[in-house]
Amino acid sequence: MKKADIRITGLGVISAAGTGISATLDSFRRRERNAVPVSIFKTALACPVFEVKQIPDEFIIEKNRTLGLALYAVDAALEDAALEDLAGLRVGVCIGTTVASQLNDLEFYKSYRDTGDAPMEVIERFLKSNVSEFIAHKFNARGPALTVVNACSSGTDAIGAAFSWLKNGLCDIAIAGGADELNLIPLCGFSALGIVNQDLCAPFDNDRKGLNLGEGAGILIMETADSAKARGASSYLSVMGYGASADAYHLTAPRPDGAGLEISIYKALSEAGIKPSDVSFVNAHGTGTTDNDLVEGKALGRIFGNDIKFLSTKGFTGHALGAAGGLEAVFTAAGLREGWIPANIGFHNKDDAIPVIPVMEETKINGRFALSTSLAFGGNNAALLLGRV
Amino acid sequence: MNILGIGILFSRGRGIDSYENALKDGWQRPEEYDIPRINKKTLAYMVKPEHMEDKVLFKKMRRADRFSRMAVIAASDAIKDSGVDINKSRTGIILSTAFGAHQTTFDFLDDIIDYGEVQVSPTTFSNSVHNAAASYIASALDITGPTLTISRFFFSFQSALQLAQTWISDNRCDHVLVGAVEVCGEVLRYSFYKKLGTSEDGMIRPFNLTHPFPPVPGEGSVFFLVSDKSTENAYCRIDSVDFNSGAEYKEKPDIDILDSAGMTEGKTYLKSLSLSVPVTAYSPLFGSTMTGSAFNCAAGALMIKKQRQYANPVTDNPECLNLISTCGTSKIDSVRSIGCNCLDENVIIYLRKTGI
Repeated sequence: MKKADIRITGLGVISAAGTGISATLDSFRRRERNAVPVSIFKTALACPVFEVKQIPDEFIIEKNRTLGLALYAVDAALEDAALEDLAGLRVGVCIGTTVASQLNDLEFYKSYRDTGDAPMEVIERFLKSNVSEFIAHKFNARGPALTVVNACSSGTDAIGAAFSWLKNGLCDIAIAGGADELNLIPLCGFSALGIVNQDLCAPFDNDRKGLNLGEGAGILIMETADSAKARGASSYLSVMGYGASADAYHLTAPRPDGAGLEISIYKALSEAGIKPSDVSFVNAHGTGTTDNDLVEGKALGRIFGNDIKFLSTKGFTGHALGAAGGLEAVFTAAGLREGWIPANIGFHNKDDAIPVIPVMEETKINGRFALSTSLAFGGNNAALLLGRV
Repeated sequence: MNILGIGILFSRGRGIDSYENALKDGWQRPEEYDIPRINKKTLAYMVKPEHMEDKVLFKKMRRADRFSRMAVIAASDAIKDSGVDINKSRTGIILSTAFGAHQTTFDFLDDIIDYGEVQVSPTTFSNSVHNAAASYIASALDITGPTLTISRFFFSFQSALQLAQTWISDNRCDHVLVGAVEVCGEVLRYSFYKKLGTSEDGMIRPFNLTHPFPPVPGEGSVFFLVSDKSTENAYCRIDSVDFNSGAEYKEKPDIDILDSAGMTEGKTYLKSLSLSVPVTAYSPLFGSTMTGSAFNCAAGALMIKKQRQYANPVTDNPECLNLISTCGTSKIDSVRSIGCNCLDENVIIYLRKTGI
């Protein structure tokens, strides 16, 4: 595996837990859970969700919430990286999503069904809504661009793809992460699959009853060390490894033995050149569903031992689908930078079938390495290894 | 990176031999399909049901939708075509698409409208998720390497190919199944018809670059098995996938293939061409799709492997380009597959004979 020094020079984030990294960390410290009934669209489904309270006005894109969320997080990350103007730089854009990639406008389709006529402006808008194409054009990034649509691991896989671009010299800087809006279609779909919790989610808890949907965007500015040095950007964080695998098992259920996740984690560790014992904490996928948390908890125990410090942040953000991996990469990087991780909110009782227990309080971190994992619909597993230089 | 095998499914058949026959035989009028809600028939290059029958392959995916089935057929055929015994844990999958399984998404919207939010089908929802098809490929072929689905409206396939190259270069995989899939459901045909019109005689005219002629929607799937190691049966090498690198030739190829298919203005193509290099475009064989580059790339690979050129299926030539007009043997060492969009962006895939 090629070695490369890929730095993280900027972080941008927006979710129900806060707008911006500072507000988010404050929210984590206060153990706030900003779940509400759905307010941004009409639905008969009464379950708590984690909505973003307000996208700042200057980032609102009419009738496209995902782009607005992405735009805010990218702008914040670029500002954090002190990258005001991308002209002349070799910048790639790789963002994961789910909702923004689907032509799922219910009113458009109803109109077509009922009248045989449908407004073409919906099609026009859809054709301009590919997240990475939109961001690349908006910021004049002329390097590679692609939108990853790998369901719940999209954000992690997007960062992994950008990592490969940087290692192979396809660009010097990459805007990477995930963005997704809360939307009726996945809400109905996940409800039909029977995995939506009618109360607040409780990742890894014995009495967990499913996930809460959320939304947001989490973006990393990734950069070769040479590029960062050349423009005088300081960074003590880096992306060190990425591993991915397919379960080849079932469309909607994870492989019970967790072998696919385990392979992904070992690949990420191997690429980073570190041992499991070097990992100071894991930001787990931890959706709060029966199957995910069981499989993931067992795999973490096997690889890292039962004393591993780990948490799921979905108790603060909900499951933001295509944005989840981006959000959690930002939270993982922030944990390494700040030297602490928040409590796995919602956890109260140990599940005897899961050998590991998540952190229940704000916890100090001393190590240099941390892992973020994602398990996705379709049996995708992805793991991202971040480090403090 | 080398192309070791190709699987392809399009309106005129399944398999690389069917595609080569179409390249030899030239253009055929596509069939008409209903758009029932507007009580109209339009022409489209649709995959026929008889080309999608495969009881063995679909044994593990009885509930899969049409998009996923098309993907699995092409991916499976690419491996068979290569003759390579792949290491399944060291093989990756990258599926590119512009519109994904949109027809299944509309089926799910039908559920919501007809039965209400709490009575929808979980199976339909599952199949509507973009990465379901790649997951079915992994399950059907028992492949456990990295599996990714990507979506762009422009250059989706080329982006996938570029990423496949990095996976191999990074030693994440020995082989990658990389391809493109599009279906053309009723709503998409309606949108084509309403927004762009549809060529009334069913003929796409890819060289009407300044004043585009209406498109004819198409669908299909193409997968390539690629690796850094070549084989005796390999088609060719992919030298590079260059985005926005300028119109200049790195080196003059023997043939240029254009992705033009009548969907956008094509003036940008003209900047990329030279009268001394013969030009061709095969969208009239498989229809207008946003990932047509994969089909053209397959044609380029075939030309190099077979050392044979294929005549342009449609020869309307208002720009007076140097079009290939005959089929026959020809010394072909390199081919450029060129994609352009209306934003003056371009991507060039350089294909080259293995060993040169």
